[in-house]
Amino acid sequence: MSRDVMIDLQQVSKFYRGQKAPVVENMSMTIQQGEIIVLVGPSGCGKTTTMKMINRLIEPSSGRILIDGTDVTALDGNDLRRQIGYVIQQVGLFPHMSVATNVGLVPRMLGWDRKRIEARADELLHLVGLEPAIYRNRLPRQLSGGQQQRVGVARALAADPPVMLMDEPFGATDPMTRDRLQNEFLRLQEQLRKTIVFVTHDFDEAIKMGTRIAVLGDRSKIRQFDTPENLLANPADSTVAQFIGRGARLKQLDLRRVDAITWEDVPLIAPDKATNGAKRQLEQAEGSSALTVDADNRPLRWVNAHDLTTDAGALAGAGQTVTTVEPQATLRDALDAMLASRDGAAVVVDEHGRYAGTVTLDGLMQVIHHTPEPEEPGAGVPDQRAGAAPAAELTPEQR
Amino acid sequence: MTFLEYLQSRRELLLAQTLEHATIVLMSVALATVIGVLIALWTYRNPRARALATGVAAAMLTIPSFALLGLLIAPLGLGYAPTLVALTMYALLPILRNTIVGLSEIDPALTEAARGIGMSRLRSLATVEIPLAWPVILTGIRVSTQMTMGIAAIGAYVGGPGLGNQIFSGLANLGGVNSLNQALVGTVGVIVLALTVDFALALLGKLTQAGQRPKLFRPRLARRPALTPATAVPSPSLGGRE
Repeated sequence: MSRDVMIDLQQVSKFYRGQKAPVVENMSMTIQQGEIIVLVGPSGCGKTTTMKMINRLIEPSSGRILIDGTDVTALDGNDLRRQIGYVIQQVGLFPHMSVATNVGLVPRMLGWDRKRIEARADELLHLVGLEPAIYRNRLPRQLSGGQQQRVGVARALAADPPVMLMDEPFGATDPMTRDRLQNEFLRLQEQLRKTIVFVTHDFDEAIKMGTRIAVLGDRSKIRQFDTPENLLANPADSTVAQFIGRGARLKQLDLRRVDAITWEDVPLIAPDKATNGAKRQLEQAEGSSALTVDADNRPLRWVNAHDLTTDAGALAGAGQTVTTVEPQATLRDALDAMLASRDGAAVVVDEHGRYAGTVTLDGLMQVIHHTPEPEEPGAGVPDQRAGAAPAAELTPEQR
Repeated sequence: MTFLEYLQSRRELLLAQTLEHATIVLMSVALATVIGVLIALWTYRNPRARALATGVAAAMLTIPSFALLGLLIAPLGLGYAPTLVALTMYALLPILRNTIVGLSEIDPALTEAARGIGMSRLRSLATVEIPLAWPVILTGIRVSTQMTMGIAAIGAYVGGPGLGNQIFSGLANLGGVNSLNQALVGTVGVIVLALTVDFALALLGKLTQAGQRPKLFRPRLARRPALTPATAVPSPSLGGRE
């Protein structure tokens, strides 16, 4: 294992006075540096409590929590929290402070000088896609919900903490904004490589964001802790399966990208070629369809032999419209593009829109059925009696 | 002697009494603000303590002012002290109650965020909670000031300072040469003073309201539409509004 353990929960429990059952019971989990761990589960299962014990917003009743080898109880709670990024669903920007002041709060508490704080705030606003010159002096209420959450993320990143806790950070935004924020955050994470504990009740979000996902049951008991791929392919028990919901196969398509599957080639017909030449080319290729392209090799339309016989003139306007996807698109996007095209194929284009290959339903089917199955059935199933630790140990190698 | 002639002849005395009046009111309100805000901070998270504090403050407000001032003579004697104490007691309730309301109405997400980013309790109060509750607290201060302006006049009964002395001496020699003028100048003086101070406090509120830029900066905000094209300028992700 090349990566280091960043967060280590050891037999952590939380009891409240006057309540018989603990909210979190003997939770153990090992989180590697740079991972996004998603805690997902029904409301009231203790996932937020678990997360809040990591920065001691809630004090654990028993057990140990180590961050980078240090017991969190060794530090003053406020000092600890200044070293851990914290993002909540309601964002929690202070309405009477400008965006830049909000972002600079933690550095100010850490005693940075004013110049450095200002520079850092600008840098972070730029990082989350808000032009500092326009936004730094605005008040939070002058921003849209999505922009506010960007500032919330910037505030959490201000002192460059190695660990971030995110409590349903995108839960309060509309679906379109949420999708965009998720994508932006994943892109950010590629640069930042933070260790992130992410709480959500939305399984689709978990699949999208998680390096590994812990499906939690009552009292924060880990039902399964695994990569999204393995979770979808092999749910540990019926409860997990139920939580995944219908369409596990379809959800798998979200996890893979077009550049991960094999592309097929189709005959290309340059625009200036005479129809007869094109027809010959089609027949030679023995395919049913060919793609007309422009001078820059950008796909134009699907044509078949029939199109060419009925219209003896120019190729322009003949045939079916083309749907394209980029190599970075998910297979779900590719499937969508295939369904939109009569030929059941989507054309892969590079960033300049030039032809690169095609993907077909057949290719997609092959991928789905090649999704790695575990060596033995039930390998991902945690031993319920021994707690969740075995499941946690199984997985790090698998990705 | 007409009212204006009376004003003219007693100009210096009246000015002094007006200043005394304003001073004792502002002093007692300031005292009540410190005490009220402290009690509020101490009790607002605990429903029972909160109810007790506001209950006691409300009970004090129901004591008739003559009675309270009279009762305070025994421990404090005559003059400045009993007036100041009585006024502070009366000023307490509006400030205490408004501070409690202001603090408890703060969005819990904000206090959680403050804690979550590592603010100590004191820092959270000083930089987040009190600034946000300030408009409500200030409203309480204004109510208290108005109320104590009138009550302060009665302080003259126990030898306290201020315009009440005019009213009391006017009432004492009813039918005398200047009795009507004295009562009138005292009453009108209190009203004018109350309105002036209230206006000053309202202005203070405008200048210190959290999350509200002072008027001076408004023009910049009004120009915002001119900036909108700039939001379309390509930035790594997106800078525009959703």
